[in-house]
Amino acid sequence: MEETPRAKYTEKEKVEVFNNEFLPHINSMYNFGHRLTLDEDDAKDLVQDTYLKAFRFIESFQKGTNAKAWLFRILKNSFINDYRKKSKEPSKVDYQEVESYYNSDDVHHQITTDLRVESLQDMIGDEISNALNSLDVDFRTVIILCDLEGFKYDEMAKILDIPIGTVRSRLHRARNLLKDKLSVYAEKMGYKNP
Amino acid sequence: MNRPNPFTGSSGKKSTCLEMLHAILDGDASEEQQEYFREHMDECMPCYKSHELDIQIKQLIKSKCCGTHVPLDLVEKIRRQMNSIT
Ligand SMILES: [Zn+2]
Repeated sequence: MEETPRAKYTEKEKVEVFNNEFLPHINSMYNFGHRLTLDEDDAKDLVQDTYLKAFRFIESFQKGTNAKAWLFRILKNSFINDYRKKSKEPSKVDYQEVESYYNSDDVHHQITTDLRVESLQDMIGDEISNALNSLDVDFRTVIILCDLEGFKYDEMAKILDIPIGTVRSRLHRARNLLKDKLSVYAEKMGYKNP
Repeated sequence: MNRPNPFTGSSGKKSTCLEMLHAILDGDASEEQQEYFREHMDECMPCYKSHELDIQIKQLIKSKCCGTHVPLDLVEKIRRQMNSIT
């Protein structure tokens, strides 16, 4: 790390970068941490670790680069290293299956979901949030990054260290799984599937 | 309406409806592709319905799953720890 060229920031500039470039994203970061860990205290720890790490390496941050994507990347890596290892459960995402997704004959079925717009309009409670939280963490992550935070494929690829094609297919699988969950809620609410 | 399909990949393979829907929804479509898709929806009911649903879900996710605020004391705690680093 010592070898990389670094911006020379004075202490005052460091605090300015921190305040102007990093802190504005703290609510998004907390939301991301919370949805990854599903625990407020763990989310706080993750956000704190992320910001302190970003501050420690602030000289490797160049003004004008995408601070938000960098922070999300740090948080996601901390999550994998500190939290995911604790649970011995391997990721449930079957990447082989994801990659062959577009080659399946199932495309027509995918497009004609039985979920209807009318049933969504009545989901005023926590159904959406619960449905999102119930997805496997890899699927949850891409939905958060794309739909909540508006990251593009290439930014997500950098945050997650995966190829763009995998981002795309994982996102689409995630959307379908989310629709399945929402269909179940809709059915419980009395919406008959056609 | 026989304009060239701007979704056609470098391989010359035409994108399926599903691939178009995703590119649009994920914000990965160019102006030209968006325009093409708007016209396509007039001719393709499954795309029209699916797009409407996708947009609704996306908007719902945004409105229901955002807006949490970080606990106030956390920012102060981070600042204190920053000062001990420098
Ligand atoms: Zn279509």
